[in-house]
Amino acid sequence: MEKRHNSTMYVLMLFFASILIISASTPVLAHKVIIFAQVEGDTIFTESKFSGGRKATGAQVLVFDREGKQLLEGKTNNKGEFSFKIPKLTDLRIVLNAGMGHKAEWRIPESEIKEAGGISEKKRAGEYSQPIDAALSKQEIKELIDESLDRKLRPVVRMITESQSKGPSVTEILGGVGYIFGLMGVALYFRNRGKKA
Amino acid sequence: MHISEGVLSAPVLITGAVLAAAGISVGLKKMDYEKIPQVAVLSSAFFVASLIHVPIGPSSVHLILNGINGLLLGWMSFPSILVALALQAILFQFGGITVLGINTMNMALPGVICYYLLRRLVNREKKLISLTAAFACGLLSVFFSGSLVAVSLLFTEQSFMSVAKLIVVAHLPVMIIEGIITLFCVAFLHRVKPELLGGIYGKAT
Repeated sequence: MEKRHNSTMYVLMLFFASILIISASTPVLAHKVIIFAQVEGDTIFTESKFSGGRKATGAQVLVFDREGKQLLEGKTNNKGEFSFKIPKLTDLRIVLNAGMGHKAEWRIPESEIKEAGGISEKKRAGEYSQPIDAALSKQEIKELIDESLDRKLRPVVRMITESQSKGPSVTEILGGVGYIFGLMGVALYFRNRGKKA
Repeated sequence: MHISEGVLSAPVLITGAVLAAAGISVGLKKMDYEKIPQVAVLSSAFFVASLIHVPIGPSSVHLILNGINGLLLGWMSFPSILVALALQAILFQFGGITVLGINTMNMALPGVICYYLLRRLVNREKKLISLTAAFACGLLSVFFSGSLVAVSLLFTEQSFMSVAKLIVVAHLPVMIIEGIITLFCVAFLHRVKPELLGGIYGKAT
């Protein structure tokens, strides 16, 4: 009885020690990379970082088309960014290879490229430079709205991707530890039943 | 050092999974009633260790704690690490389900190697020898893990030596920190619960 009591104390002590360690080392960071890409005009901007916010610098970025053919490759700069001109009007698959087995990807569908590209070409042609009058067609109004929405929503999109790149939350960590102890209970139960039988 | 999904080719994944399964079955056989709580505690320690980021060096590295895990558990380290990695994959999206086998293999085998290499030295009465061995255990297990990761990446990245060097250099601070942590764990256990270090398979010191 005495012995069992001791080992329970030991288990509890280690458990609380581990919780102390995690809470002392916020922000929690770890090993996962993400890449985030967006189309602006005829250029695609990408941003790469490790979960927890550290930039993935000098990492290899590969761009593939729909058929899996490599279109171009490049390296991220010291802010984890890499940008390139749209190589081809197709679904793009942008793959980040941060070395040591870290890899992430981001897909840009053809429609997104078309929309962004289309707007910027019209803008360059000076179509919106005339004073806006009632003669604007439905299509033009839609494009104007799209363009300004894109601009307004960019920070929101960025915020969402940033929240995705945050490290695991305390709930998840405690949940995981809980799972392990639950599994321990199951294992003990089955071993114990085997013993009695 | 978690290898992400989609990096490795199928033969590497399958080899890793088969080897890990072998290790796990040996571990499960050795795991008796008294050992289950210990396996669970070390499993959860491993589970949270990878959240502790070491902000030194060129890359994003974290604690691993596979040395102390292997030292205390021997082959039971395999099931212990499998559970922790599976939960990390599900809850944190570190690694992934398809790479679970090879990751378990890369993390658990070094601990088992250290168990056989250093166990006897850790159990010595002389403090200096015991603690040095503990430090070496923490350091070497990370080093071996790095080498195993480099071997796994052998078929996808260009050259073994450059990858291995990169991983080992990135993990130098972690190796030293893990050595120190293992040292303190062993010193603590020597004082508080020496039987944990001693006869894991029923044999005392």
